[in-house]
Amino acid sequence: MTKPGKYLFIILVALLVIGWLACTQARQPCETPLTASLNMEMEHLISVTDSTFVDTVLPGAEFIPITRIPNRAPDTDIYPPGTLFTLSLSPIDTMCQWAFTTDSAKTGTTFDTFTFYYQRSLQFVSNSCGYTYFYNIDTVVSTHHNIDSIHILSKGVTNNVNTTQLQICIHPDYF
Amino acid sequence: MSTQRNCKYVFILITFSLLVLLGSKSVYAQAADTTATDSTAHKVKKKETAGRQLNVGVNLVRPAMNFFTPDLFGYEFEWDYYTKNEFYLAGEGGWGGSWVNYTNPLLQYTTKNEFLSFGFNKSLLPRDRPTDWDMMFIGMRVGVAPVKRSPVSYTILDSVWGNTPDTTTKGQNFTAIWAELTGGMRVELFKGLMAGWNFRGRFLLNAKSFDVLAPIYIAGYGRGDKDVAFDFNVYLSYGIRWKRRNTTDTASLAPAIVK
Repeated sequence: MTKPGKYLFIILVALLVIGWLACTQARQPCETPLTASLNMEMEHLISVTDSTFVDTVLPGAEFIPITRIPNRAPDTDIYPPGTLFTLSLSPIDTMCQWAFTTDSAKTGTTFDTFTFYYQRSLQFVSNSCGYTYFYNIDTVVSTHHNIDSIHILSKGVTNNVNTTQLQICIHPDYF
Repeated sequence: MSTQRNCKYVFILITFSLLVLLGSKSVYAQAADTTATDSTAHKVKKKETAGRQLNVGVNLVRPAMNFFTPDLFGYEFEWDYYTKNEFYLAGEGGWGGSWVNYTNPLLQYTTKNEFLSFGFNKSLLPRDRPTDWDMMFIGMRVGVAPVKRSPVSYTILDSVWGNTPDTTTKGQNFTAIWAELTGGMRVELFKGLMAGWNFRGRFLLNAKSFDVLAPIYIAGYGRGDKDVAFDFNVYLSYGIRWKRRNTTDTASLAPAIVK
């Protein structure tokens, strides 16, 4: 190789080293959803005698986690009118409860309670995000003020937001 | 690894292998032409005119990286040995480790490993003269690294239900195996003293082993949580050279064959 070629080589190497070191990043941001999503769709029977399900649009559904964290007001999730809702399960226990009403704006509204029993499985997401829990639902129990029945469509609860796990049937008398 | 990814890696490996094959074929073709011309006069096969070379070097990027990234360290050495027809047997070895000490969410563990890789380089530049050891090359390697990972401490953050308490899992030992494609150049700065750089593309062959926790750094490979890792290296090396045993013998024999 000629002398100018060798100098060009050394300059190229120096530039590449600078570029390479500049691109080195300590911890990359976490871009994966960490919370396992428990997705539910609301439906109801057309009548007590008819077994046809139709989607139910709830006007202002409200979900309140019944937590055991002392001295802390529970976070409430009030949804706009819709049929699909998403909850989370507790990573610190194998059961958790949510209070639920179909319309938070309605005066004298009655609350139902969902109780979820499940198994946790530790899941490594990435070095950026760390660990999370995925869940496998065993049973779901509820009160029956406005809820007729609950059907488990899929037991696995992961960070895949496209899977619907529960079908909640609102009592036909509600409408 | 998904099937689609595997196909991509296989495609890259096949393409690269074809390039190496074509490169070597053109050299053989040149050699064959020369032999055909020479054979009419001397009836002697073309002999390798370059001597032997054992080149031993150190990767200069690693100490620089150790300085800029205090949470990981690594040291790497390389060697290659010239066989014939611009083929070099080559390999690397070294050791390294990492300290992961992240907060929010907490993730703490350390890794340590040694590594070895073995393969070949193929020079694509024709020699100006037998003593010309400058080269632009491509090559392939297979690498292996036994990795020791310490117990992992972690928390899981949850704004609704509260964070999990600090938890520690068991440590783990595992082996990383990868295939590697490389390409670069090397020039002789002074007599025997050589400098060069290369790019490396590495493909982790047993990524499923790391489902429990993919280590952030595997010395010799790179980011353990990636199925494909790219690397850039700068080597300073020294070539120990000696003559081939049969070089002088052939010269003395040649007139006898002509006769």
